[in-house]
Amino acid sequence: MEMQQLGAPIVIGLLVVFFGGTLIMSIMIGKKKENADGYMNAGHKIGFGISAASMTATWIWASSMYASATSGYTYGISGPIHYGLWGALMILFIYPFGKRIRAVAPRAHTLAEVMRARHGRSSQLMLAGSNVLGSVISLTSNFIAGGALISMLSPFSFTQGILFVAGGVLLYTLWSGFRASVLTDFAQVVAMLGAVIIIVPAVFFTAGGTDMFIAGASNLTPQQSNFFSSDAFLNQGAPYIAAVLAYAIGNQTIAQRLFAVREDLIKPTFITATIGYGATIIGIGMLGVMALYLGIEPVDGDTNNLIPQLASTFLGPVLLGVLFIMIIGSLASTADSDLSALSSIMMADIYGQNIAKKGKANPKTMLLVGRISMVVATGAGLYFASGALNILDLLVFVGALWGALVFPVIASFYWKKVTNAAFTTSVLVALVVFIVVRFEWIELTGAYGIAIDVLSVIGIGVVLGIMAFGFFGKKVGVTVGIVASLASAPFAIGFLHDYAVLSGSLVAYAVSTVICYFMSFRSTQNFDFKVISDRTGDFDVVSDAAADLDRKSTPTTR
Amino acid sequence: MEIIIAIYMLVWPVIVAGVLFVLVRGFVKDWREARAEGRSII
Repeated sequence: MEMQQLGAPIVIGLLVVFFGGTLIMSIMIGKKKENADGYMNAGHKIGFGISAASMTATWIWASSMYASATSGYTYGISGPIHYGLWGALMILFIYPFGKRIRAVAPRAHTLAEVMRARHGRSSQLMLAGSNVLGSVISLTSNFIAGGALISMLSPFSFTQGILFVAGGVLLYTLWSGFRASVLTDFAQVVAMLGAVIIIVPAVFFTAGGTDMFIAGASNLTPQQSNFFSSDAFLNQGAPYIAAVLAYAIGNQTIAQRLFAVREDLIKPTFITATIGYGATIIGIGMLGVMALYLGIEPVDGDTNNLIPQLASTFLGPVLLGVLFIMIIGSLASTADSDLSALSSIMMADIYGQNIAKKGKANPKTMLLVGRISMVVATGAGLYFASGALNILDLLVFVGALWGALVFPVIASFYWKKVTNAAFTTSVLVALVVFIVVRFEWIELTGAYGIAIDVLSVIGIGVVLGIMAFGFFGKKVGVTVGIVASLASAPFAIGFLHDYAVLSGSLVAYAVSTVICYFMSFRSTQNFDFKVISDRTGDFDVVSDAAADLDRKSTPTTR
Repeated sequence: MEIIIAIYMLVWPVIVAGVLFVLVRGFVKDWREARAEGRSII
């Protein structure tokens, strides 16, 4: 079948409607004098509707839509589950930790800031540095997705596409920061979810409905036809379980929303985002399964082209426009979150606590730092997206660093004995071991391979133990961790080292946990968690009267 | 079997519709509360 394109005037019109609409929303809540804390966390009291929509929109990014479809195309009917379900459950699994973090540091802005209050500068800078790098990478990835989409569905080039997207996102985020990001997330999530509701059934029925399963059954291998495919679990699901827990704990976009939502609404926010993310991403992944049944070959052999390719083949111009808005919404919502997260780190962690003198951070200067950071990050994202530098290798390091951080960060919120030395040493050693395993600097064979398997088995116990600990406490967490390690050992030892990506992630968890534990358990430190609340707080204290005056002088959504 | 796969593929947009309803209802509630209290929604 022939692929369709959208005409230049239509694409321009859609972009103007989308970015113009979000800009108007941003202007409606804009204040002449923005508050530095509001710019970073919107005053810690966002309601359920906006926070749940924002958490859902931020977690869904263009790459996750493409990756779920790729998983469906590669691993068959269970593929989207092994991408979307585990990603969704990670939102659910981190909410108990989120409640604890918020209880310990109710007025913080970033997780790195809390780590400084708990440990000191080195742990803060490790988290802050990884987040800045992670945000720029994510930003770049979203620009690339936008450029690729625009070049495929319209007469515009890739370069023009990334300029449209970067300019549009920066325009509505620059002035009001996080406040603009979360409010526009609502409109974006309505567009995204609305599109999924329409597009998945539309492609299904236009492509032949159930007939495609009969005609295309021979296109699937036995593994692809099997809902319990071990290929899908070992190559997609398992590495993703390990990676996403790290992403959830380490990423500032999630922490920022955690600090912004009203404290009593953390649970419903995370649960709604779990279901919203899971259903959306698995649903979109079904397009990849349909492509597999239909025997479609991705354009240029790139499975990232599957979604636009399927849409332009089976949908008319109106629904193609709906898909266009869906993808633009997904990448814009994540890109504005990245800009807000990065600017908060530059404002609070770099300027507020490492450049300004103690207690002397100027809120006006902080806002300037935040806005300049957004402009510079957008420029960097454009530079990387234009192909000037391959950033994919950096992504591996950021993921590994976040994986190494998971246990030390979580333990630091519950265990008084964790020291700064234990935190820093465990993370750095785990990162080094990860690199050696992930890139197979030493061949994963013989006794060395078995040793890595043993560490991986410990890593399995750490991941599952941490998840259980969040919901059920220490006893259940330790029991689940030990049982998981023992149960997986007979199957994993002697076998798991064949999967270097998975082994690398699991080893990072294991090494950081073991070192952090053994460096801390004999420590005499008896940290008082109440200190964290005293050490983290607002930078920009505005009196209620001044705030009222500001409200009356500026338009609101009323 | 084909029917089961079809249901499996099409159930996700239905769940998404449910979530979208919850989010819109939550947003309207936030907006009404903010208006009643005379403050900005965000």
